[in-house]
Amino acid sequence: MKKIPHKNILLFKSCLVNVEYPGVESSTRYIFDKMGVEYRVDPDQSCCTGLGYYYDLFDQLSTTALAVRNFYLARRSGHENITTLCSTCYAIMKKTIKLLNSNENARQEVNDILKKAGLSHMQYQAGDLSSEHNIFHVVEVFHSLKEKISKEIKLDLSGIKIASHHACHYCKVYPEDSITPSRNPMVLDELSSSCGAQVVDWYDFKKATCGAGFSQRFANRDLSLSATADKLLALEGEADLLLHMCPNCQMQLDRYQPVLEKELGRKLNLTHLNIAQLMALAMGADPYKIAGIQTHSVPLEGLLEKIKNKSPVE
Amino acid sequence: MIKKDPKGDTDSLLEDVRNDYRAFPEMGIKRCLQCGLCTSNCPAARHSDYDPREMVKMVRDNNPEIMNNPDIWNCFYCYTCGSNCPANNSPCIVNQILRQKILLKGENNARIYEFLAYGYSYLDFGVGSIPSDFFDGLVADFGQKYVELKINLEDIRHDLGLEDYNLKGEALEEVKSILSSSGFTSRLEEFKRCHES
Amino acid sequence: MSTTKSKLEKNHPLTKEEDTKNPEKVGVFLCRCGGNISHTVDMAKLKDSIQADFVGEFENLCSLNCRRHIREEIIDKELDRVVIAACSPITHLKTFQNYADLLNPYMVEMVNIREQCSWVHSDSAKATKKAIELTQSGVEKVKKAQALDKIIRQTEKSAAVFGGGISGITAALSLANQGVKTCIIEKNPTIGGNMVKIGKVFSPEKLAEECSLCILNPIINEVINHKNIRILTKTNLLRAGRRSTHFKIILEKQTGFVHEDLCISCGRCVEVCPVDVPDEWNQKMTTRKAIYKPFAQAVPDVYNIDLENCIRCGKCEKVCTVGAIDFNLKSEIIPLEAGNVVIATGHESFDLNKRPEYGYQRFDDVISQMDLARILGVNGPTQGELLKISDGKRPERVVMVQCTGSRDEKDDGKRYCSKVCCMVALKHASIIRERFPETEVVICYTDMRTVGMYENYLRYVQDKDIKLIRGRPGEVTKKDDKLVVRVEDTLERKPLEIETDMVVLSEAIEPSPGTMRIAQKFNVGLSQDLFIKEKHSKIKPVNTDMERVFVCGTAQGPKDITDSVSQANAAAAKVSEQIKSGTEAEPPVAVIKTSQCNLCGKCMDICGFKAVYRDEENMAIDPMACRGCGACAGQCPQEAIEIKGINDLELYAQIRGLLSDKKEGEIRILAFLDNVGYTAADAIGNNRLCYPEAIRIIKIPSINRIMPHHLMYAFLHGADGVLMAEYPDECMLEAHKAKIKELSESVKNQGIPSDRLRFYKAYAPHYRGLAQQFTRFFEDITREI
Repeated sequence: MKKIPHKNILLFKSCLVNVEYPGVESSTRYIFDKMGVEYRVDPDQSCCTGLGYYYDLFDQLSTTALAVRNFYLARRSGHENITTLCSTCYAIMKKTIKLLNSNENARQEVNDILKKAGLSHMQYQAGDLSSEHNIFHVVEVFHSLKEKISKEIKLDLSGIKIASHHACHYCKVYPEDSITPSRNPMVLDELSSSCGAQVVDWYDFKKATCGAGFSQRFANRDLSLSATADKLLALEGEADLLLHMCPNCQMQLDRYQPVLEKELGRKLNLTHLNIAQLMALAMGADPYKIAGIQTHSVPLEGLLEKIKNKSPVE
Repeated sequence: MIKKDPKGDTDSLLEDVRNDYRAFPEMGIKRCLQCGLCTSNCPAARHSDYDPREMVKMVRDNNPEIMNNPDIWNCFYCYTCGSNCPANNSPCIVNQILRQKILLKGENNARIYEFLAYGYSYLDFGVGSIPSDFFDGLVADFGQKYVELKINLEDIRHDLGLEDYNLKGEALEEVKSILSSSGFTSRLEEFKRCHES
Repeated sequence: MSTTKSKLEKNHPLTKEEDTKNPEKVGVFLCRCGGNISHTVDMAKLKDSIQADFVGEFENLCSLNCRRHIREEIIDKELDRVVIAACSPITHLKTFQNYADLLNPYMVEMVNIREQCSWVHSDSAKATKKAIELTQSGVEKVKKAQALDKIIRQTEKSAAVFGGGISGITAALSLANQGVKTCIIEKNPTIGGNMVKIGKVFSPEKLAEECSLCILNPIINEVINHKNIRILTKTNLLRAGRRSTHFKIILEKQTGFVHEDLCISCGRCVEVCPVDVPDEWNQKMTTRKAIYKPFAQAVPDVYNIDLENCIRCGKCEKVCTVGAIDFNLKSEIIPLEAGNVVIATGHESFDLNKRPEYGYQRFDDVISQMDLARILGVNGPTQGELLKISDGKRPERVVMVQCTGSRDEKDDGKRYCSKVCCMVALKHASIIRERFPETEVVICYTDMRTVGMYENYLRYVQDKDIKLIRGRPGEVTKKDDKLVVRVEDTLERKPLEIETDMVVLSEAIEPSPGTMRIAQKFNVGLSQDLFIKEKHSKIKPVNTDMERVFVCGTAQGPKDITDSVSQANAAAAKVSEQIKSGTEAEPPVAVIKTSQCNLCGKCMDICGFKAVYRDEENMAIDPMACRGCGACAGQCPQEAIEIKGINDLELYAQIRGLLSDKKEGEIRILAFLDNVGYTAADAIGNNRLCYPEAIRIIKIPSINRIMPHHLMYAFLHGADGVLMAEYPDECMLEAHKAKIKELSESVKNQGIPSDRLRFYKAYAPHYRGLAQQFTRFFEDITREI
């Protein structure tokens, strides 16, 4: 089991968290602050390019060179434990380090690019970082703190059924690095049960994609929605809330659920939250000032009301 | 001239795929037994004519026809195929490499054209964004509430205590400079030119 | 080379060594080989040139009447030592040792003037000159030979068989029938293993399924009643110590709180036991009591208390009429001495929870082939009726998923084919189609592996109408009341969702942790996939890399019952061979001079043959395992290891002899060849290829025998180059690498050009490569000089 850090963390900003679910970042920071996790958000950090990489637009070397610049920022500030809010950032950076550490040609080409850009001081030497020991997803930090977090839970979640969607780019790109078995991912389930919720555990298509498919969402909307429908229909009547760990999946399932509902002509009665949002809420965070639920497409007010009615009044 | 990821293509499609930087050294494409496990779990195979098993076979056979197969553009890049593959192959990565090769040949550029905005946004802000051409489609699906979210985003972020995320000044110059020397900037122009011509 | 030479002289203690007067009388017998030698070599000149106490020339020295000549000359001339200048020692040394049996066999030296002279050199004058030098060198060498005896070790006539499944039972019975005292050690409360559970078995020659218990029962009865067999159930291995003729084994027999000799197996205890425990015998599909007998025909036929689950209520004790139950019983430590060990510890089934996508734990009606075997067994949970666990109804369709966990390179998968699953699936399909024809059977496969005669069985089952789908399923899920198998029909290029009532996973066979523990205690090597490794699958099957430890059955690798039984009989035969005649070792072997040894253990670390072991207080070398390669001697800081059979003085004499009479400008290259290298060199002669006369061959057990001082001696006495050719033996690769490094560095330190010492990997069939190597080496040196 890999060692999960609680300090020297570079909390890596995500493009889709920024503009779709900013509450994911504020919730994470809320939890980190309460748990005494030492982290930094770097204003100079550029985005991982992941969407562009999987739109087939970015080439490996450009993505890698930009990552090396971000690694430099992390090293410069002594925050080498790069921890992501998004599963694609996680996979992109792992891929980058693996490539740089194992492929001398690629490393040389990337260092040449940096040199040509006048950034020789940022160059990467083999072994500067390790894919296993420097790249984390925030859920891993939460998971390592779950006993401590469970003591801070103020809401009674026992009345709601929670299912989880483990992002593909966390579980399947580097399955060996996942902290619960990648064929049966349980990180989110274990976290939600430590918050006192009823866990749905398995459901058909649990491991399947959200359907975003990067370019598919835009270029192949119907195909994309078919996959999204597989997942949402499998959960119909099974869960009140679907937990996320990736803003892209969250966007796909939260924003397209009403679209599908319109096509189906019925409500699916499922809500969506990122694990950080759920845990922050359960710890007492404000739904709008911290968890940022106002940016969601499927309203969460009903669910929160249901939880509140069950929870003891402070 | 577009900069290619791996230096120098060989005349073997299989070897090109294996040597690509997107591939990984132990990738078992040569060991594929055509068992079909990848296809059985593939969301694109489930909902379209895409068959990752068949794609791998054609690459292994060095059959260039695979480059003209429109179905390969249906892959979701979800990596499910590779995560279970008994031969430790990754059809998903093979697919990514094929698409790169096709685009670099100047073919199928219509498929990338609308996504170029992501690249330009990156050059402007150091952050990618949903390509602007698709925004109208999203609004049609997500409704007026989505437009309001975009309008009020800065306020919401402010309420949540979050800083500005766009890069500025020296940091932005560094990113631009890297993308220029990596050939990405000209790659964007080339893709644009290929499509428009 | 002159400066190098003087430097060498200063450093080398042996250069001043003078031949002491040797009183031993040496006779030389020259063979014409019916012209094979004499057509090229001038025999008269050869005879005249050799300095010895007797030199004789014969037409066919290997013919029986020459036996008389050799014996007569030995007596007549009072010869102490003999040189045979003829053909290859590989083929004829035994013959001539036998012809000269008045002498110790190590007093006979063979010089190969056929394969290394007349057959590879066409120039008569040069060949004659070389023949003289080779023969004279043989004379010098044999003068230094030491008489040695064969080493005889009597392995104790007993065996310990670990594992009481079909393999262990078979091996034990065969041994016992050959008069070997045999002890079967089984961890479970009964012998019988997996075979008793599976109900029906397939076989290569019959198109029918036979009752496994019916086949096994008579064998088990024979085992029970055999005077040479002792059965210890519920017994684990604690310790194993190695001695030169046997193993000292310490066992622990767990108590079942039942006096096995008193229990009459009446079963009253079971009726009163209040504790229900999932029953392993029925794959946990039913329950048993905390006091139980695994199945009706269990051996020994006694009840046992499962200590883990027993609540010590004492009810059973009260109803037992014979007083067999005793809660004060303790586990028993049993020492055992056994000359030989057979590991027959079997396999385990792949943990199906490692493939959660197939839902083994999630859905009642996703079961394993072993679960299905129990369901189809007449003594199983449904008395042989094919019924679903979930609702007790007959399934309309059964889908089987092949290769579950097998042929899978992912981290927790098994890379190998488990070999039996295709046949097991077909067997169950056959039974289902025969007895429950209304149930459809679908088998999803990647390859149907029904090798050899089993192909007949495949056709037989196909005729019963089964459906074969070529594709490896991705997942099993549930929709409404039906299970759904997602698979691509790869032949139709079509992803399918097959609705079914029952899914049967063909689970991989995997090595059991118990096998690994026993291997570790006996220091037996494992294969890459963690089964017990055979010493060599072709020439040393069923042997492990540890002398006198053998393996059979699925502990060695996945296999069916037929193959397990064959292998068990082979293991028994090998034990028997060991006991009856396999106790003779011939030099060269390494011997430890205990008084000089400081027990550092470096010899043990380097020995890939596992010949070195730590006795109670000393380091010891098992002569049966030792190859005399000399790697240990090279490592020993105390010089406490001697290689019997090829001593330093012999080596020096031979080196000197082969380099004697070197003319100005002449080139000499010494080639040290191991047995394989030497065989390849013989093949060069047999095929009449040519190489330069400069090549002079010395046969050694291994390059590990050669120390830097031997090399220096050779260069000092005029060698222009040294070639070391050896077969790359897997288990000594590390030692070889170290040796090559050591020798190369010593040559470098002495200022000898590095290309004057060459290493070559010899392969017996690739003799052309060796010939080319000889020629190239010679040409390179000629060019330099």
